[in-house]
Amino acid sequence: MISTVVLATGLTLILIGIWGMLTHRNILRIVIAFSLISTGTHILMVAIGYVASGTAPIIDRGLSTTEAPMRAVDPIPSALAVTAIVIGLAVTAIMLAFAIRLYEAKKTLSIDAFTESKW
Amino acid sequence: MAELIGSLLVLAGAVFHLSAGLGILRMPDAYTRMQAGTKASTLGNTLVVGGIAFFHPDWTLKLLLVIYFVLMTNPISAHALARAAHRIRVPMTPQTTVDALRDAREQSRGGA
Amino acid sequence: MIRRAGIVLAVALFGLVFATLTVHHVERQSLPPLAKRYVELVPRELGAPNVITGILLTYRAFDTLGEVAVLFMVAAGVGLVLGRRERRTETSFRDAPQPSRQASEIVRTGAQILVPLIAIFAAYIITNGHLSAGGGFQGGAVVASSAILLLLADPRQRFDQQFLSSTESAAGVLFVLVGVAGLLFARGFLDNRVLPLGQFGTFFSAGAIPLLSVLLGAKVGCELSVIIDRFRV
Repeated sequence: MISTVVLATGLTLILIGIWGMLTHRNILRIVIAFSLISTGTHILMVAIGYVASGTAPIIDRGLSTTEAPMRAVDPIPSALAVTAIVIGLAVTAIMLAFAIRLYEAKKTLSIDAFTESKW
Repeated sequence: MAELIGSLLVLAGAVFHLSAGLGILRMPDAYTRMQAGTKASTLGNTLVVGGIAFFHPDWTLKLLLVIYFVLMTNPISAHALARAAHRIRVPMTPQTTVDALRDAREQSRGGA
Repeated sequence: MIRRAGIVLAVALFGLVFATLTVHHVERQSLPPLAKRYVELVPRELGAPNVITGILLTYRAFDTLGEVAVLFMVAAGVGLVLGRRERRTETSFRDAPQPSRQASEIVRTGAQILVPLIAIFAAYIITNGHLSAGGGFQGGAVVASSAILLLLADPRQRFDQQFLSSTESAAGVLFVLVGVAGLLFARGFLDNRVLPLGQFGTFFSAGAIPLLSVLLGAKVGCELSVIIDRFRV
């Protein structure tokens, strides 16, 4: 039940991001929509690894070494999500760098002004 | 008894968060939206974290540090955003009659 | 008109696929076999209470090395795209800033209080990677956020690009050298048993994982600060 709710939240965020990316004409809003898609994907990855009534895979006072294989949540998607978040930040940085150069070239932030790549 | 007080505080915090979201949707221009979003959500945060302190009394010092940190960062960041918005001349709603920052900047530029 | 219809059709099809995924999702009842082996092996063999950091820095350490390479490529890419703007802005820094361009006093005072707190918090997250939630990447991102705060408080401030670049390169080289030491003295590349395992759960334990976390945090922090510095006006 919990993981289904979190899964639906992640997929809804991805859907909103896809809609925003296709609809808006301002470059910065398209970048924000990409960031939404990437956040939704991180939530999706963590939701897939949930084990019913499980807890975080960290051994401390609440979870001892012997009962960890019974009760811990899957650690592999969480490790992949850690990597993905940092790479998402770096990709957003390079998208914003391109947006700055595009603005300096044409003095406008609307992508309708850049038609050289269209057929 | 302590849990009742804690639950009431968390409920009050949630009501303030709801009013912050409502304010962001309904306010006319960027400055009033920023004011609604920051003030109400900072107070909502403080009340929710204070309510949690009644549920777990041994976490009180850490939760007070969290409240202090939120109180330090939220208003400062909203202040920086509002000044930046005023600098690039984001238009104010016509219902606002006083613009103290523009008068102060003209005075300093005219005098300097 | 056609474009709007196409957008609605695309979003509706995606929505249909996602709805099917959500409806047929069945919550897992027990760990898959590979995850169960990792959860058993990491506290026993590596001596690290945090299973995720143990996986990231020993069993899947090659992926971490690849991600470090990706971050370096992005830093070089941002430097290439935004590099030539530096020359145009040199002249504007020589004259005194107008009062309206300076950061306000509230932001400057707030930055003076907050930057030490953020730095301590970043150091705590980096060094506690093997005991509780945390690690090199998360702490490096917090270091970069303190760099943003410094730039907001004083827009004329220059970061020492030479120091940041050399720290980042040195941290990367040391990371690979510790990995090669694992190849020579322990059981594989980036194995953490080059250093003694120590007692489970204390600060100086889990072999080379705290050292690798510190190197990773320094590298990621310097890299993100260099990227942010490129965006200055």
